[in-house]
Amino acid sequence: MSTKPLVVIGLLGTSLDNFSGPDRWERWRPTVSLFQHEDLLISRLELLSQERFSELSARVVADIGLVSPETTVNLVPIEFENPWNFEEVYGALHDFTRGYAFDVEQEDYLIHITTGSHVAQISLFLLTESRHLPAKLIQTSPPQRRNRRPTGAFEIIDLDLSRYDRIAARFQKEQREATSFLKSGIETRSETFNRLIERIEQVAGVSRDPILLTGPTGAGKSRLAKRIFELKKARRQVAGAFVEVNCATIRGDSAMSTLFGHVKGAFTGAVGARPGLLKAADGGLLFLDEIGELGLDEQAMLLRALEEKTFLPLGADRETASDFQLIAGTNRDLRKEVTAGRFREDLLARIDLWTFRLPGLRDRREDIEPNLDYELEEFERRNGVRVTFSREGRTAFLDFATDPETAWRGNFRDLNGAVTRLATLAPGGRISKPEVEEEVARLRQGWGEAEPATVAVGALDPLDGDERFVEFDLFDRMQLASVLRVCGESKSLSDAGRKLFAASRERKNTVNDADRLRKFLTRFGLDWAKAVQLGGTFGAQNPK
Amino acid sequence: MIVIDGSQGEGGGQILRTSLALSMVTGKPFRIERIRAGRKSPGLLRQHLTGVRAAVSVSGATATGAELGSQRLEFAPGPIRAGEYAFAVGTAGSATLVFQTVFPALMLADGPSVVTFEGGTHNPMAPPFDFLERTFLPLVGRIGAEVTVELVRPGFFPAGGGKFTARVAPLEHPQRLDLASRGELRSRRVTALLSHLPDSVGDRELETVSRKMSWPSADFGIRRDSRSVGPGNAVIIEVGSSEVTETFTGFGDRGVRAEAVAENALAEAKIYLAADVAVGEHLADQLLIPLALGAGGSFTTLPLSRHTETNIDVIKRFLDVDITSESLGNRTWRVSVERR
Repeated sequence: MSTKPLVVIGLLGTSLDNFSGPDRWERWRPTVSLFQHEDLLISRLELLSQERFSELSARVVADIGLVSPETTVNLVPIEFENPWNFEEVYGALHDFTRGYAFDVEQEDYLIHITTGSHVAQISLFLLTESRHLPAKLIQTSPPQRRNRRPTGAFEIIDLDLSRYDRIAARFQKEQREATSFLKSGIETRSETFNRLIERIEQVAGVSRDPILLTGPTGAGKSRLAKRIFELKKARRQVAGAFVEVNCATIRGDSAMSTLFGHVKGAFTGAVGARPGLLKAADGGLLFLDEIGELGLDEQAMLLRALEEKTFLPLGADRETASDFQLIAGTNRDLRKEVTAGRFREDLLARIDLWTFRLPGLRDRREDIEPNLDYELEEFERRNGVRVTFSREGRTAFLDFATDPETAWRGNFRDLNGAVTRLATLAPGGRISKPEVEEEVARLRQGWGEAEPATVAVGALDPLDGDERFVEFDLFDRMQLASVLRVCGESKSLSDAGRKLFAASRERKNTVNDADRLRKFLTRFGLDWAKAVQLGGTFGAQNPK
Repeated sequence: MIVIDGSQGEGGGQILRTSLALSMVTGKPFRIERIRAGRKSPGLLRQHLTGVRAAVSVSGATATGAELGSQRLEFAPGPIRAGEYAFAVGTAGSATLVFQTVFPALMLADGPSVVTFEGGTHNPMAPPFDFLERTFLPLVGRIGAEVTVELVRPGFFPAGGGKFTARVAPLEHPQRLDLASRGELRSRRVTALLSHLPDSVGDRELETVSRKMSWPSADFGIRRDSRSVGPGNAVIIEVGSSEVTETFTGFGDRGVRAEAVAENALAEAKIYLAADVAVGEHLADQLLIPLALGAGGSFTTLPLSRHTETNIDVIKRFLDVDITSESLGNRTWRVSVERR
């Protein structure tokens, strides 16, 4: 229980408080009733009243003195001609709020919202909700039939709704649903990522300011922007459309007109008018991906459109208005771009208010498994085919996917591609280890990685460590090893030659297979017999 | 330090008031815990805070935990100071209960005091002013302390605003008081107290009593008192005997018929009249402290209420007294208070 003295601020109820004669004590008078509760002790009342009700206010003050000798009452003059005129009433109450010396360190404040016109009650609510009045609300209510005493009841309402367990639980549930929505329902496990999404949900819920999403390509910026839009739409915070464009695709002459539109005849070929993407996003959300690719002229126009909510289409002599929320995406360091003179500093300042960096897949290893399941479900949804991993296949893929050495250069785009390929090629809808191994190789190739050297030397170079061949390059040793393996499996020098030079034989441009092989072996100081012997020793290790 | 469980027995404010009163007269500090535990709004209410503040000003005490809703209070009294005081209770709470809290201390002070009490003077669950004036204080006078009260205006729920003044002379030569029987019946008086209410209410109340009791019409009367702020009503039945004058009261309230108000007062009076006792249920409770602080004494009464039993427990925690009750049969009990 708070030990600070309690101060109530309220309007004189010119009708509800207005009873006279001894019978008034049989009536419920909201302002007086505040002071008739054994469990509510108010140190001071600031009673806002108009001069013309001075007789009533004097009576109310005197009656409060009787039922609450603990309370001092200050009469605060307030004037409005028409208590139902919102502007006038709000203005008068706002003036009071500004002029009142609140001492929240020493006192707690309650705003009594039961008296006054509905307009006054709404105004008090708004001023409290916007924290102009640093107070809680107090609502008094008349006696119920069962309790016939005129004291009635009171309820203190803290507009900080998070203080109410049941309401807080609702909010938490709503927030959980919203963050889950932003994550496309993927049960992500990365703490950093989950906190990031919670913060984005918070910001998206209240702010219409620009949001900047940074992070490597394929980190999911575009998908997240779309999700933010859908969340806002579900919450009725946007009425317009979601308009998405990758700035890298609209470079050059057409960029201006694509974004800002043009009027008919603005330039050669402008047969019809075009409203442009900014206009299309009016009342909605514009996602400009790769904003770093935008030209400097377009940047200037965009800045103006953000600040003034108007812009000039090509060839137009009148400005067009569009009120949209901007989400920008980039994988570049825009600060460096500013330094290099390729990005406007003022635009960056404008869009840098809420910057969220989406981590790449490499930094979210724990999220790979839930995303893998999500991608499989998406594949099933798109193609109507159910595809599953064998246990071995799943383990093999996850081992590779979560290995710190795995690059994931294209991030979620790569994961999506991998799953799409695996699922499409899976025999009978089952992805097992060989398919995974094939895909792993394909991914590595895509990332420009050779067969990993460490693996190759161990598994594919049986001559590694053999003193006779140390002077040769790995390149040569690998070739020799393969040749020796064939020798080990062949009946004669000629037989081996035929196998090794099969392609040349096909083209019929070979002279002597056996001779070519003998000369090759001689370079390494080997003859046929030694070659068969060596090839046999490691041929057994490799069933192929 | 004496530690009192505020939730024992009937609990509530009586334990607190008795503790405050006896702490002041003995100079012993106390701590009360679990004040009104388990009630709908537990802890100290405004009327209790007024009582604590009154005790603080009379004895220069320090009180910690004297806050609304507090379930724990520590009270360390200083010397009692006689003098002039004014105490006001909010929410039309009982002013006589504040009197009850401070009067034992002022009775034992080294000089006379004049105290004004404001609030309710005729509240249910509290001794009404008429009971103090006509029943309780005359007996206190026989113990040796001259205490007089004067009604300035009555106060009723919900307006309150009642006021009375008490003049308390110190107890100088305490006398033993033994009330074995009430003595010879001398007078009866049935009064309908009306403030800002029509006479018809009083007529119906008196009619209700007179129809059931064949008492002479001279015993009945309406007392109009328009000095109060708000409307109010009580039916007061006074039974005067040679040893004791008893008072029984029914209180008017919203939604309670006038007949029911009268019947409540009469029911209590009839129980007393039918029994062979000196002291009624409420007076028995009130007399314990003056007897224990004076020279002891005894009285015959009806079976003790739980309220009174709790009060006895608390008195024994502060004072070195024996309080015993023995059954005399036929729903009659004898209570004796002996100082050791």
